[in-house]
Amino acid sequence: MLNYFANLITVTGTSVILAVSLNLLIGYAGIFSMAHAVFYGVGAYAAALLGLYYCADLMVAIPVAMLAGALASLLISLPALRVRGEYFVAASLGLQVIATTVFEQWESVTGGLSGLGGIPVATLFGFELASPISFMIVTVAFVVLVVLAVVWLLRTSFGRDLRAIRDDETAAGAIGKNVTVIKAIAVAVSSALCAVGGVLYAYNIAFVNPESFTLNLSVLVMAMVIIGGAGTTMGPIAGAVLIQALPAGLSWLPLPVQNIGYLQQILYGTAMALLMIYRPAGLLGKARGKA
Amino acid sequence: MMAQEKVALQLTGVSKRFGGISAANKVDLSLPYGAVTGLVGPNGAGKTTMFNLITGHIRPDEGTITHNGVSVLGLSPRAISLQGIARSFQALRLFSHMTVLENILTVTEYSPWSFLSSGAHQRARIERSEEILEQIGLAHRQKELAVDISYAEQKFLSLGRILAMKANVWLLDEPASGLDLNSYERFFTILRRQLDAGVAICLIEHNLDIVRGISDRIAFLERGTVLDQGTPEKILGDERLTAIYFGETV
Repeated sequence: MLNYFANLITVTGTSVILAVSLNLLIGYAGIFSMAHAVFYGVGAYAAALLGLYYCADLMVAIPVAMLAGALASLLISLPALRVRGEYFVAASLGLQVIATTVFEQWESVTGGLSGLGGIPVATLFGFELASPISFMIVTVAFVVLVVLAVVWLLRTSFGRDLRAIRDDETAAGAIGKNVTVIKAIAVAVSSALCAVGGVLYAYNIAFVNPESFTLNLSVLVMAMVIIGGAGTTMGPIAGAVLIQALPAGLSWLPLPVQNIGYLQQILYGTAMALLMIYRPAGLLGKARGKA
Repeated sequence: MMAQEKVALQLTGVSKRFGGISAANKVDLSLPYGAVTGLVGPNGAGKTTMFNLITGHIRPDEGTITHNGVSVLGLSPRAISLQGIARSFQALRLFSHMTVLENILTVTEYSPWSFLSSGAHQRARIERSEEILEQIGLAHRQKELAVDISYAEQKFLSLGRILAMKANVWLLDEPASGLDLNSYERFFTILRRQLDAGVAICLIEHNLDIVRGISDRIAFLERGTVLDQGTPEKILGDERLTAIYFGETV
């Protein structure tokens, strides 16, 4: 039972990293990306390949995965960030579709549909993180680091650049902001942080395949951010916890297993509709007109 | 006010068409340092388009635009602003969900990597932003969100943003609309201080009394064409132009 909860916290922590990193784009830069699962996948595959062929040290895997995530983000940001709003959404959607195909078809690297299995146990400073509890503790530590990194970044001039662009891109350009570069950096930072989640996922499950990095996940992470409250510190955390905890909570109900999935869908749908009516800024979002 | 005649910005033969509509038609216009040039004309005359052409938001079909004698054609709005050409917008375009201080502070942070600069540099930027807020009378509102302050205060904040840019050419789109008499005085005191420092100012304004009061010269635009330019007395005393301005058939 203890291991079950430890694993639940690890999985939830990974989701928190995804939501917090996407919130940097949606909530603070006004960039709606539908390709967040791609960078999660890049991080996971980078960690898996490192673990299988080099070493499973998190202190190696995390920087490498972050770099891979940031570089992969340039594929979308360099051509797509010159356009605004819905055009970027469409471009990111295109990247998501292409990346899923690459994950499935580049068998020599990704293992194709069969994925990569047998990923060794992660290590940190020479200690093997073999037990679910030790891995949970490390995951929570990385969640805290990611959240602190985002909070710090948002308090700097770069955070002001992002919010200026979100509030009025034309005015930001007119006062001398390099809008395209700032957006590209934001996407790179967000993708790098997202890749940290991918590393933790890969070493936790010890297996990666393309099914874990599809458009469904990108939409789910976006839902976490919007439900919790985009543009707030705690909102995406609350959204991720809620969405991960809901299926776990429902599994305790005295219902036939085959009905739980349907109930979950109904609850998600109802919650989304009620939120949009009563709290359009999300659970922890501030009322319209406030920061 | 016309002591200095060095030209800050020169438009020569600038034209821009949107389909069948001529927004600018072979416009020749010069903005001298230390002087206010008023752009007047009826709605749709192409006044704001002129600003958009200067600041690179729209590229002209033909003609040249030079700043201190160097062409700015083809440069991005960012590159043009970094040359010291600043503008305000009719719709203000403030960063609504940032504080009043942040609206100024972010202007002083030129590079995306500004946050890597030393603490002393960062403190200097904050102090300078606070000084600007003092100048525009918003020091007591610095922690408020821009969306939460009054319209007149937002106007001053947009002016403060230009002050923070250290611009040498100011393009002001209806800077005085919506201001009460007291605010006018404060507004124009700030402008006069900048003129004394040698800044070139071009303003679009519908209130002709204000235009007459502050402008050294006026260019009258209609349908993208500069019909005439000269002293306020000459332009505003011209019955033909007045008739056009008020939409009368001549």
